[in-house]
Amino acid sequence: MKRLIFSVVALCSLLSASAQITLGEKGGVISGSIESNNIVYFNDKALSTPAPDTHFGSNDYIKVDYAIDRFSAGIQLETYLPALQGYEIGNYGKQFKVLTPMVYAQWQDKSYSVTVGNLYDQFGNGLIFRTFEDRQLGFNNTLLGVRATANIGNYVAVKALYGRPRLYTNYKSCWAGGADLSLSLGDMFGMKQGSLFIEGSYANRMDDQIGKATDNLLNMYSARLNMDIAGVTLRGEYAGKGIDKSNASNSSDKGKAIYGELGYSVGNFSFTAMGRVLDKMGTPLCATGNGTGNTLNYLPALTRQYTYMLANLNPYQVNVEGEVGGQADFYYSYRSKTNRYRYWNIHANYSTYYTLRKSQSKSGNRERLWQDINVDVERQWGKKLKTTLLYSFQEWNPYHGYHHRTYVSNIFVADVQYKFNRKTSMRVEAQYLLSGEYEGDWVAGLVEFNLAPKWSFFVSDMYNIGRTDRNGEYKGTKKNYYSVGGSYTIKRTRIQLSYGRNRAGFICSGGVCRYSPEYNGINIAVTSSF
Amino acid sequence: MKKLLSLILALFAVATATAQQLPDVKVENAEGKIISARELVGKPLIICYWSITCKPCIQELMTILDQIEDWKAEADFEVVAVSVDDARLKATAKAKAKAFSNDFICLFDSNQDLKRAMNVSLTPQSFVVDSKGNIVYSHTGYTPGSEQELIDKVIAISKKK
Repeated sequence: MKRLIFSVVALCSLLSASAQITLGEKGGVISGSIESNNIVYFNDKALSTPAPDTHFGSNDYIKVDYAIDRFSAGIQLETYLPALQGYEIGNYGKQFKVLTPMVYAQWQDKSYSVTVGNLYDQFGNGLIFRTFEDRQLGFNNTLLGVRATANIGNYVAVKALYGRPRLYTNYKSCWAGGADLSLSLGDMFGMKQGSLFIEGSYANRMDDQIGKATDNLLNMYSARLNMDIAGVTLRGEYAGKGIDKSNASNSSDKGKAIYGELGYSVGNFSFTAMGRVLDKMGTPLCATGNGTGNTLNYLPALTRQYTYMLANLNPYQVNVEGEVGGQADFYYSYRSKTNRYRYWNIHANYSTYYTLRKSQSKSGNRERLWQDINVDVERQWGKKLKTTLLYSFQEWNPYHGYHHRTYVSNIFVADVQYKFNRKTSMRVEAQYLLSGEYEGDWVAGLVEFNLAPKWSFFVSDMYNIGRTDRNGEYKGTKKNYYSVGGSYTIKRTRIQLSYGRNRAGFICSGGVCRYSPEYNGINIAVTSSF
Repeated sequence: MKKLLSLILALFAVATATAQQLPDVKVENAEGKIISARELVGKPLIICYWSITCKPCIQELMTILDQIEDWKAEADFEVVAVSVDDARLKATAKAKAKAFSNDFICLFDSNQDLKRAMNVSLTPQSFVVDSKGNIVYSHTGYTPGSEQELIDKVIAISKKK
């Protein structure tokens, strides 16, 4: 508790002076941000996971940037006091009172830039290389190294970078990086509207801990075509990867990925469809290392990501060893010409994935990994009332394709928002998940009350009803997960306090899913920027 | 470590409120071209960060759309919707943006370079930028009704000109 008080007091001290600093007319500008997520854990007999011994977790970030003319520099400090339960940085990194400084300095001219320090970048869709920070997941695979970029007008853009990757709280002893080239054919041929690019990338990972010299260097490459012309979008990428002999991968085959995307829009209608093949593309940062954050590339689940609790109970997890599939989205919007407060928004989405090879399944067949057919209709009736209805049919394979078995869920959501006046509003969600398998039926609800622009309060509940299947076997847990809280916002600062019992599950962001155990506790989150 | 924290605290203590400039960071526009965010400077801007999975962000943008004609009768400005969706949801975000609005300038910050440069750690976050590129107002989070602060600030800076 003392740590919590210390964290909050320290943050409040900073926030009380949360204004930007100007160092004279030509002295440059200091800006930054603060984020603190704290949970006090309680033991709960109804939960299978006990509270951690410390009964407290705190992930905190302070970032300060300085900019003057074309020069900028910055530092980020992170503390874990200790890491929140379920964050892999607490399992694989140092567990307590970690402080990790990250720094960068950059010179950016009109036609070139040089950056030294911590680098975040990606080539194309990230199939072969992406460094990024995701605080929700507790991942950060930044490179500590050097990056240079150059461009010739709008025609040619090239960048190269190299450095040591970060895994949780440590920098690994291997090297990674590469180069990327982008040619704007649209500009070269004087296209007045739209864009046409051909692009290519090379990335590698050098680690002398693997053993054989030929295995130490892992080569990866990709070629891309991107086109946006007259409402039509066409994108394609092919990526290849050498044989990966790192401990986490230890493959005896080369990897490849193919990505294709087609989009079309006219007026208030748009359509996009994408397909992807992944074949042994999981690439760890170095020869050794554990955890789902140990990845040098970015292979996201190309499925719909929901904002409703029950629709997100069992999200799709990418099978990097081999999968083929895709998704399609359809959007249509109609807004009344006589009353802009009245409109319809309609969205439909379909996604499906299969194992890539028959050998991935015990049955010897290519198995379905995932399917989701969903539609949502949003109707704003006027200045006060808005309603949204959503239906989703989800089918998922709990064995990642190894067994011929899928669970089916039908999810129904009704969402109603009502504005009492200019500053007071209320939103209510009612959700039901119907399933004869796994944990059976669920019901959930949420009530949110807002007093703009500063206050917001909510209470939510999610209850497993369960179901007796055709064989008379009961499936379910009868567990109740509840949460109540509120937030206060003033300009760039937001403080949220909540209490509740939280369900275990996978928290997914992009292609990475982190398992979060169930817990009961008080959560205090503070964010601010200056 | 204590010295470092003390230094940071001291810096805040002497802080004076002033305007940060819109950073010179490259992002993708609706046509797929790479532009600098600074190229948008000219008119006052309302910049709203959003993503497909951020329900209040989309709520804020839809509410601005409800009122944009009334607002534009009061001041000359542009609304810039910056999607921070990465490779997973960028195509979906583009499709949604194209169907729902032709009234915004849409940018796609898929590697979150602009988001990082503007120190956005939580979405929704909205900024008002004056015609010289100075950030004059910012608000994090969204509750129905708080969009009024954005247009009030735009009208205020438009009158100052």
